Amino acid sequence: MSKKIRLLYMEGVSPLRSQTVYHAVGYAMKQDTPNTIILVSPNAPYVSIGYHQDLQKEVDLDYCAAHNLPVYRREVGGGAVYLDSGQLFTQWIFHKEDLPASLEERFALYIDPIVQTYKELGINANYRPINDIHVNGKKIGGTGAAQMGIAEILVGSLMYTFDKKTMSQVLKVPSEKMRDKIFESLEAYMTTMTEQLGSTPDRAMVKDLYLKKVAEALGAEIVEGEWTAEEEAMAQEIDARFTSDEWLYQKGQLKQQGVKIHQDVHIVEAAFKAQGGLIRIIARLREGRIDDVTISGDFTLLPVFAVGALEQSLRGVAATPENLKSKIEEAYYRLNIQSPGVTPTDFTTAIMNAVTPPQAA
Amino acid sequence: MIYYACDIPEDLTYDIERDVWIRFDGEIATLGMTDVAQTRCGKIAAISFRDVGKKIAQGKALATVESAKWVGPFPAPFSCEIVETNEKGFAENILLANKDPYGVGWLVRVRPTNLEAESSHLVTGEAAAERYKERIKELKINCLRCID
Repeated sequence: MSKKIRLLYMEGVSPLRSQTVYHAVGYAMKQDTPNTIILVSPNAPYVSIGYHQDLQKEVDLDYCAAHNLPVYRREVGGGAVYLDSGQLFTQWIFHKEDLPASLEERFALYIDPIVQTYKELGINANYRPINDIHVNGKKIGGTGAAQMGIAEILVGSLMYTFDKKTMSQVLKVPSEKMRDKIFESLEAYMTTMTEQLGSTPDRAMVKDLYLKKVAEALGAEIVEGEWTAEEEAMAQEIDARFTSDEWLYQKGQLKQQGVKIHQDVHIVEAAFKAQGGLIRIIARLREGRIDDVTISGDFTLLPVFAVGALEQSLRGVAATPENLKSKIEEAYYRLNIQSPGVTPTDFTTAIMNAVTPPQAA
Repeated sequence: MIYYACDIPEDLTYDIERDVWIRFDGEIATLGMTDVAQTRCGKIAAISFRDVGKKIAQGKALATVESAKWVGPFPAPFSCEIVETNEKGFAENILLANKDPYGVGWLVRVRPTNLEAESSHLVTGEAAAERYKERIKELKINCLRCID
């Protein structure tokens, strides 16, 4: 790529503008608009939801209202996320002919400068296809892609800090146990520059390093510029749409498997009514295996330590009915478990309901 | 024609740049994502359709498609009015276009409003197959379908 890339550097803008700016530059793009990289961070925290999410099902709106957290629906996919000034969003708005045709190659190109920036800071970051960045199994930011008008968009962030506690609070979840599991999983499977380095690196230095890595990756010169009056007018139009109830509360079609922590890790939950009582499951799945499971409910299981032992015995087990049932039966035999009206098959069904929720008709 | 596992039925008409297939039936056209389009998009996670009766300009979105890796428009190959969508089909099985893009995975039925002026880019038959061979080579793509 020989053309110059325009940089729009916008640290400390309003939460709304941190989202609408890349939509505006995308939708306003014409054939002669330069490829643009926007580095932007919000001056206050907020929640961003994915294009097809159902706001009322996914976000704890009471919590957000009580904590003055605005919520905006973006035109990029994925799940709800809490964002604040601890992330520098790296948004690419490019002509499609200046990016690889395949999305896989596109993500690889986009993620490489972020990974190289982290590496130069001494963080062992790696690209985890298709669109994650990991440090020793922990995610340090995700990415997304979209088409807006003639523009192809790639978005992600440089993660200085991430407020995992508030992230777990803003999600609408069926129980506080589930919320605790999400927080615990974010602690276990997400990381930041500050955590990795022991202190927050200088933001100006990180920004410059990132731009140097982008210029190397693209073989292009990056020149700081301004946005045009037309782009700004488009942003104002999108501001109005993004703050309208019609946009925010539109019906969501996205059916997700629990809460995604990163590409390989999901928190799922389900309940199953067995003859001897209700079984509730909250499980963390990692690469198709049970990474952690909490079993509760109003059934009787003896001896008293049997629930804990059962949970322990399921860790690392591939989440298939055969494997789960076999492990549970083995624990029943080994510990001489008694459970009136509840069988190993019932526990297996409860867990599988969480792993692969029955499809809505 | 099947080329690098991509099925390009020669009885359909194509907007190759937009990766949309078209089946004309009288004044109505059925539209869907080609095998190439559904492969590039990946497993679809959600689709939102524009309302029936809405008039859509050429190139604008008839629907918005979200996969695990991308969100983007399903574009109109020509200006048209939406007469039917496959919203119900996709509500029952979101992977319809990933399984059977030319059959049950159709997306919308439309009534073209300016076809005469907006059809010169459409191709069919052997010409479509040849053009798609080039596109598939350019994209370095092997098509994949979902089976479950």
